[in-house]
Amino acid sequence: MTPGLELRDPTAESASALRPRTPPLATLDGATVALMDIGKMRGDEFIDRIEQLCRERGVATRRYKKPTNTRVAPRDMIADIASTCSAVVIALSDCGSCTSCSTHDLNDFDKRGLAGVSVLTEEFRHAFEQQKAAIGLDAAAIYVPHPMQNKTTDELHAFAEQSIDRILAAICSAVEPSPLERAA
Amino acid sequence: MPHPVPENGLVVFAKRACETCAMVESVLGELARSGQALTIFTQDDPGFPASLRPVDDTTLEQSFRFDVEAVPTVIRLEDGRETARTFGWNRTEWESITGITGLGEGLPAMRPGCGSKSREPGVHEQLFARYGDTGLTSRRITLDAWDDEMEACFERGWTDGLPVVPPTDARILRMLEGTRLRPDEFIGEVPPNLSPITVEKVAVNAVMAGCRPDYMPVVLAALEAALQPEFTMHGLLCTTCFSGPIIVVNGPIARRIGMNSGINCLGQGNRANATIGRALQLIVRNIGGGRPGELDRAVLGGPGKYTFCFAEDESDPTWQPLAQARGIAPGRDAVTLFQGDGIQGFVDQRSRTPQELTRSLAMSLLAVAHPKLCEFTNAMLVLAPEHYAIFRDAGWDRARIERELHAAMVRPGKDVIQGAHGVGEGVAASRRDEMIAKFWPEGLLIVHAGGQAGLFSAICAGWTGGRFRHESKPVTREITA
Repeated sequence: MTPGLELRDPTAESASALRPRTPPLATLDGATVALMDIGKMRGDEFIDRIEQLCRERGVATRRYKKPTNTRVAPRDMIADIASTCSAVVIALSDCGSCTSCSTHDLNDFDKRGLAGVSVLTEEFRHAFEQQKAAIGLDAAAIYVPHPMQNKTTDELHAFAEQSIDRILAAICSAVEPSPLERAA
Repeated sequence: MPHPVPENGLVVFAKRACETCAMVESVLGELARSGQALTIFTQDDPGFPASLRPVDDTTLEQSFRFDVEAVPTVIRLEDGRETARTFGWNRTEWESITGITGLGEGLPAMRPGCGSKSREPGVHEQLFARYGDTGLTSRRITLDAWDDEMEACFERGWTDGLPVVPPTDARILRMLEGTRLRPDEFIGEVPPNLSPITVEKVAVNAVMAGCRPDYMPVVLAALEAALQPEFTMHGLLCTTCFSGPIIVVNGPIARRIGMNSGINCLGQGNRANATIGRALQLIVRNIGGGRPGELDRAVLGGPGKYTFCFAEDESDPTWQPLAQARGIAPGRDAVTLFQGDGIQGFVDQRSRTPQELTRSLAMSLLAVAHPKLCEFTNAMLVLAPEHYAIFRDAGWDRARIERELHAAMVRPGKDVIQGAHGVGEGVAASRRDEMIAKFWPEGLLIVHAGGQAGLFSAICAGWTGGRFRHESKPVTREITA
């Protein structure tokens, strides 16, 4: 992130400079979760497994794919997700433009009242923190190992298995990540 | 990194656009040939003066650091410390500073220079923000280079729904120039969160509201008035009613900062009217945390909650301005804050005598809050010049108008008690046999304002919190900061 204009906080600074995010859902029963593929290579393999794991857990999902990871999602896709889903998982960011655009998408969903989480690779933890500070949203993220482009499909599926409960816990307060996942 | 400046030698600041600078180009050549260390900073054209290898100071950083007020400026440095300075062309002084005689043969003995670019309007604060120690303590919010700063302010929930001016250091510093108070001075605690506010935070919000620095004293006085316990700002902002603070400005400052007390003064189009009221509301929102739907619980609200601020027309010497009626000495500046709603128009194009007009105004004023509610709210009457002229021409002054209006609004209890005339609303049934006034004697505030043509005045209903006569009152405060 390139620093831009610097402003001064007009508030009493009694709270974080970040806007609290839309709280996680109380339950996933009856909820539909959007799985938004940001369009980056190999991300679909990760999301395929996330989709299966959701199905095994009885979580209804709808699958979306952005035309490109280098831009924010098309307006009609955002509107469709917001009108049909109550939570969103955005995956899988492993570059700067992915991280920036997907965080803006996450913010867009948040403002429409969707509980959301972004999945990124470890390398982009700092970029995500910077972007969410610039946007001003206390956005949620789950990280998987970096790099992912040189992994086998099985390895990407394993990433999904290791992170599924953390991802669901980020969008639903009733889900508890397993101790193993929490450690991750 | 700024260009290094030698510990010893001469430093010159110049710009091509300055005729005197151009005139002394040959003199600068003489200085260069003298063998002394010479650094020439150029403010506008990095190629000027071409023959002397000038140092580009188009960022004005060195001009700011050396606090250059005019060009050309010549400074002598010894062991890194400034020991002498002159500006403009003055042969004697240049010879004294440089130690070289016979400089500028053929030139006049002296010629004034031009203003330094670093001192142009608005530039100095920007340079101060960039290179100086601003002393500002509010939390820094750094945007991404690609972010839209207007959208960033919306994203953070800092606005009332309209765009705000992004609060950059340069703008805040300029705003602080508008008051004698120190940035860290404590003003009070802003409800509903009762968060402390300093002059700096007032300035940040005034920037966002779009204020000019010379509005700051009015904004500060309005805030101080709003924070007086008897103004009950806390209840006013959280209320389910329509009301918000209405600010009336009196005194010479209203004219000095260009406030509108005439045509459309309760409407749009005047920067001071619009932004002073808005600044107070942004402070309530951003510092106090009073946001609609959270603790601001207005059923409907009102457009005045964006801003409602105007000046009184004090041009008619027969009219006693509101602030003076409320204890402020003539010629002093003051704000009066009234807890009020939007306007109810009063149309009367037939009354010719003060008695007729009084009865007519009373009919409309009786409708405030509800025709059968009495001693329940206050009211503000904005009396238009043509209506006032009917009173004035009959020799009625403010006190007489108030007295006659109150008298015209006294009604038998049996007409206004709950249930009377088939309407449940009204005063307590126990008051059936009393004569009941619509407002308390101090509960009607009359302001003279508006365009010169039009028999249209305005009534602003007061907030229902005004029924607690001794707990919630309008507040007048002198503008001093």
